[in-house]
Amino acid sequence: MTAATLYVALVAFGVATGAAAGLLGVGGGIMIVPFLTLVADVPQHAAEATSLLVVLPTAIAASIVLRRRGIGDLATALRFGLVGALGGAAGAVLALALPGPTLRIVFAVFLGLVAVRLVRDAIVTPERRT
Amino acid sequence: MRAASLLDRQLLVIGAIGGLLSGLLGVGGGIVMVPLLVLWGGYAQRSAHAISLGAIIPISIAGVVTYGVAGEVRVSYALALAAGAVAGARLGAGLLTRLDERALKLAFGAFLTAVAIFMGVRA
Repeated sequence: MTAATLYVALVAFGVATGAAAGLLGVGGGIMIVPFLTLVADVPQHAAEATSLLVVLPTAIAASIVLRRRGIGDLATALRFGLVGALGGAAGAVLALALPGPTLRIVFAVFLGLVAVRLVRDAIVTPERRT
Repeated sequence: MRAASLLDRQLLVIGAIGGLLSGLLGVGGGIVMVPLLVLWGGYAQRSAHAISLGAIIPISIAGVVTYGVAGEVRVSYALALAAGAVAGARLGAGLLTRLDERALKLAFGAFLTAVAIFMGVRA
């Protein structure tokens, strides 16, 4: 894949993840990490790191929209997130300590669990919830 | 919506779990925080969604900085993906009222299962 093709693919895939996140409430990271590793041939650690840098602006944009609609309490969320940030740093340190293939298997297991939950949701949900 | 204090133990635990998964797997963490906030924290679905999204901001900053120090972040790739994702989010919100959520979840669940198996095989 040439550099130009790759960037076109990245933007297009970004549109797909953004749309899926809006539709399913499943964040972009879950799709971005497999795309970067399997299609763009990025190593597991770099894929996760890059995914987080996509998740950040997406969360900011979505939070602004929700705040305008008066949903939720951003101040509480940010304070709550400060504890989460300690967890985030610890998680990244843990990931960096693991070999790439091991980390990829951990990710694949997590992805499988998310898939099971989506299917279960679809079966349990009696009608569309909007 | 329930009142929350800074010292709320449930919130601290949920935040820590969400953060850990986020840093470990390179995802936002909302997939675990939202259900925990609803089922354990007693928040309404919408509030839980909003709180989780807000929390992802400091959580992902911490992850990006940690991975960044290790030199793992591909900034130009992230910018290209993010540009598309912000546009796509509007598209998704617009489609939301017109698509069958159940069919969508089933199809996406099946797709993720395939991806998970493929990743495991290629590891």
